[in-house]
Amino acid sequence: MSTESKIKPIPGTAPPPVGADKTVVKAINLSGGIFGACPAYVDVKDGKVVRIRPLHYDSKYDYESFNPWEMERNGVKLRPLSKSLPPPWGLAYKKRAYSPNRIPYPLKRVDWDPNGERNPQNRGKSKFVRISWDEATDIIASEIKRIHKQYGPLAILVQCDGHSESKLIHAPHGCSTLLLKQMGGFTQQVRNPDSWEGWYWGAKHVWGKGFIGNMAPAENLVKDITENTELLIVQGGDLETTPWGFRGQFASRLMFFWQEAGIEQVYICPDLNYSAAIHANKWIPILPNTDAALQLAIIYMWVTEGTYDKEYVATHTVGMDKIEAYVLGKVDGVPKTPKWASEKTGIPSYTIKALARHWAKKRTTVGHYFGGGYIRGPYSTEPARLEVILLGMQGLGKPRVHHAQIAYLGMPKNITWDQLNYDIASTDTAGGFQEYSGTFETLKAKDPELYERIFTPHRSTPQAWGKQLIPKTLIEAAIKAGTDKSIEFWGTGGHEEEPIDQVIKYTYPCKKGDLRFTGSDKKDLAHDDTDIEKIYEKIDYDGVPIRMVWTDTPCRQTCWGDGFDIGMTIRSPQIEFVLAQHPWLENDCLYADIILPTNTTLEVDDVMPCVRDGEHFQTMINMRQAIPPIGESKSDFEAVVEIAKKLGLEKEVTIGRTVQEYVEGVYKGMNFDKIVPWEEFKEKDYMVIPVSKNWKKLPAGLYEFYKDPEKNPLPTPTGKLEFCSTNLEKYFPNDEERPPYPQWIEKGITHDERLSSPRARTYPLLIITNHPRWRVHAQADDIPWTKEAMTGKIRGFDGYLYEPCWINPKDAAARGIKTGDIVKVFNERGIVLCGALVMERIMPGVVSVDHGARTDIIIPGKLDRGGAINLISPGGLTSRHAGGQATTSFLVEVQKVTMEEYEKWKTEYPEAWNREYDRASGLKATAWVVRGDE
Amino acid sequence: MGKKVFLVDCRICNGCYSCQIGCKDEHVGNDWTPIAKPQPEIGQFWFKLHEKVRGTVPKVKVAYRPGLCMHCDNPTCKEVCTAGAIYKRDDGLVIIDPEKCTGCRRCVEACPYEDVIYFNEDLNIAQKCTGCAHLIDGGWKETRCSDNCPTLCIRIVDEDSEEAKEFIKDAEFYKPEIADKMKPRVYYKGLPKKFIAGTLFDPVEDEVIIGAECKLTGEGKTYSVTSNHFGDFWFENLPDGKYKLEIKAGNKSKVIDNIDATELDVNLGDIPL
Repeated sequence: MSTESKIKPIPGTAPPPVGADKTVVKAINLSGGIFGACPAYVDVKDGKVVRIRPLHYDSKYDYESFNPWEMERNGVKLRPLSKSLPPPWGLAYKKRAYSPNRIPYPLKRVDWDPNGERNPQNRGKSKFVRISWDEATDIIASEIKRIHKQYGPLAILVQCDGHSESKLIHAPHGCSTLLLKQMGGFTQQVRNPDSWEGWYWGAKHVWGKGFIGNMAPAENLVKDITENTELLIVQGGDLETTPWGFRGQFASRLMFFWQEAGIEQVYICPDLNYSAAIHANKWIPILPNTDAALQLAIIYMWVTEGTYDKEYVATHTVGMDKIEAYVLGKVDGVPKTPKWASEKTGIPSYTIKALARHWAKKRTTVGHYFGGGYIRGPYSTEPARLEVILLGMQGLGKPRVHHAQIAYLGMPKNITWDQLNYDIASTDTAGGFQEYSGTFETLKAKDPELYERIFTPHRSTPQAWGKQLIPKTLIEAAIKAGTDKSIEFWGTGGHEEEPIDQVIKYTYPCKKGDLRFTGSDKKDLAHDDTDIEKIYEKIDYDGVPIRMVWTDTPCRQTCWGDGFDIGMTIRSPQIEFVLAQHPWLENDCLYADIILPTNTTLEVDDVMPCVRDGEHFQTMINMRQAIPPIGESKSDFEAVVEIAKKLGLEKEVTIGRTVQEYVEGVYKGMNFDKIVPWEEFKEKDYMVIPVSKNWKKLPAGLYEFYKDPEKNPLPTPTGKLEFCSTNLEKYFPNDEERPPYPQWIEKGITHDERLSSPRARTYPLLIITNHPRWRVHAQADDIPWTKEAMTGKIRGFDGYLYEPCWINPKDAAARGIKTGDIVKVFNERGIVLCGALVMERIMPGVVSVDHGARTDIIIPGKLDRGGAINLISPGGLTSRHAGGQATTSFLVEVQKVTMEEYEKWKTEYPEAWNREYDRASGLKATAWVVRGDE
Repeated sequence: MGKKVFLVDCRICNGCYSCQIGCKDEHVGNDWTPIAKPQPEIGQFWFKLHEKVRGTVPKVKVAYRPGLCMHCDNPTCKEVCTAGAIYKRDDGLVIIDPEKCTGCRRCVEACPYEDVIYFNEDLNIAQKCTGCAHLIDGGWKETRCSDNCPTLCIRIVDEDSEEAKEFIKDAEFYKPEIADKMKPRVYYKGLPKKFIAGTLFDPVEDEVIIGAECKLTGEGKTYSVTSNHFGDFWFENLPDGKYKLEIKAGNKSKVIDNIDATELDVNLGDIPL
């Protein structure tokens, strides 16, 4: 396949802002956190957005001054373009700002009375009335004071983590912690690794901590794959979907470049995902969550044919004998042959053999971009660990032998790597962010007060730092434990935890004497339990059951497991007050008692270092306000300041500085003024961080370990790749769901979601719930223009925009389903209505519904019209001792909705069925507001 | 001002719809009179990305075709317009003057390409792609669709530029049968043709068959490939038609006749030998 070379840089054209009176720069990616991506120009006229378009890096600087990198393979070259590559919803983001689903003013649930009847049973059912900011913040301040007095500060659960718009100062998540940390702390919902759980809970026990569980170091992977890889196996992930929300569309250019340069791409996934659809040399459809069987059969082939690197295995790994015995059937009497795997995976055994041989023969990299059916399902620890073992058997760390989150890590370093670091007082960059550029460490050293103000809100996404902790996957279990029972869990799930954290038992409510991590500055420790006492200490306080929830992350029902149960559980009378702050009236907001309207990046002044890997260049941008706030909205930070004022803590939250002082302080504190002076930056609104002249010098991936494992050991107890884990063997020797070495788990106490289950007689289809193509998880479901893509939404006969359910023509024909039909996707956890999309892009026996659609609950706990598929996904953890979610690859049935059924729902639930609806963008906020109070 | 041409390379379209969305971002809710009045919020596509799923599991590909007004040098829309509202600019762009259009809809019916001219009921005018003439006039060298495109699969350039000459050399037209008449200014590469593919395996040995000679005959031509390391054979970019496949692997052979690729791509499935 040749594309000739259209993939070359084209000199910039720096388009002028036609028809605008103001142009500002914004990071319009939706991964949130403390780093942005996808800088874009926003043209504004008379306070309204005219257009959003790519930033042309060379608008105000000379392209060559960025020292652009170049890569080459087989005479084909790749260089950065002179523009950013925002994703489609970023380019349509004005529709998100002007959405009819924006919350217009503060709201209070009609039947929630803080001084009387609270009616928790009506959460998600009753509507809201308009109140003023003054009234809302009075109630909130008095509730906080009451709860603190009555139960103590830890009775407030803060949900403030995950993805969002990228704003540094007006952080969409976590500003509440700026206030609550002044008031004795809070209970933290700890975000689990929600897109790579298998690597976090599994692969860490093979190669050590890695980068949040992924292979690390991961430097220069893009260069090394370009130069050395012959075969790229993409298992599960979608390079044409998931990178969009995080880094924009550079990965697309990269995959086309590799294609053109002759690197073979093989995709193993149940669906012809968007990347496979255009880049695959070969698509191998596999039944969801059966990758472990395929991997075991490949190991069987390599063992029986002697086609793996025995010398490397002898010197770099431990536990191969156990793996070999297991695949040969010496442990359970079942040899893991291609024929055995064929029955599990649906892949012909001759294809499995061909793949095993081709992999052994070619210089092979395994590529991903998180997500997909491979890594988020039940028991995802097993395929993740087997992947590392497969790579280990072929010499992990050798040139081209990598696990690569493609372009998420491993892009050329910028000059902050070699020119700014000299100025960092503390050179320690322990924790997850060392991959980026260490700029926050600089700020910490230069202006610790500002660092605390800026970093604190963002902390809860990667770190478990609250005084009392509940993993995000166990919130419902914690609430159900009531006020007299407790729950226990192993490992917090915090992204930056050491692997050893997973053997530590935590409790909620926490108890005096429980261990807590203290050693963020002690890196390279905690490989085995002898290190525990060096980095953990015993807490000297008791926790309490939670009584209030404060969320700025109101998407649990559509993004986490068993979503219907999440909605039902928050109705517990134990939860006396639910406070939500959010720009849009959606998902969990509808289960709140008070809702504060916050606003979008277009409505505030902010600043953003866009220094993550995965774009053409890294930038620092001055994100000036584009338009005035919509309605009565305030930023998430401003909302918290309003509450702080009522509690007399304004100065403590704001540190007495203005937004402009934050902007300047961050810019200088991160040493960006050493590249472009502050005044020039302020005038130009952006600067491009030049590429390091030394970027090629960094060895790729685990090369140093490959060269000399004794001198450069892995952070595991043995320093080797642990095919059988020392820690798991010691702490969980009898765990049948995550055994000391990876195995095939047909079912277990946690999950029963395979075709062999008796449940499959009633629910015979396996469903995958990929990261959405046209959203970022729950974000951006109200943009009308993405819905018009063929796979965007399906307009039913009733005019409603249904979330597509991909179904193979064979399965559709057997059920009398055709494209456009309203179908119900269901299991014993409930019913989700979708629009059928009958296509050959999904293998027979499998259906696919992207997760994250806005809920539109018709019958609480039972029926949803919005297509929020996680409402019926499993609620259990990855496995007993692995606290991830398992929200893909589970059993369902799909049927066409009959007219009788349709009419019945419509008649029995008229109010829910006839909610105000915008034909272009869908659900409207006003549907939930009681009128007449305005 | 040089005359503009659009160069569209379908082979590097990733299907992100940023072109279609950019057109809406530019034209929905924005009034660029005298070039264009606002586009309706949904349902009309002055720039439309066409998407087609080809083949059957597991030999499936997706074809995208970015589609827009062809800005023909012989525009039938202009010919049939009795209000004199449709004109061709010196740079080759064809514009429907939103102030002169009387809403007779003749142009909508006359355009031989689908999904190009739309009728805006609210404004009672015909509307279509303007080539972002208001931006070109304001100093842009691109259109919104091309500026938004992450892979540069859509380009608008001067027809006498090196880039245009290089591209046009072996480019094709959408609906080539009417190209001589219409003289469209949109050049394509990689418009989808047909494929015929399959996998060869030995059911006794339970192995794929690598290196089998596969000869495909049809539409007056013969094509040869050998099956690859997965036992797969692919014949791509075939003209519509009926074909005959002869497979030879050692002393085994097979002939599959009457393969119908006139309408659809063909996956012959896993073929035992």
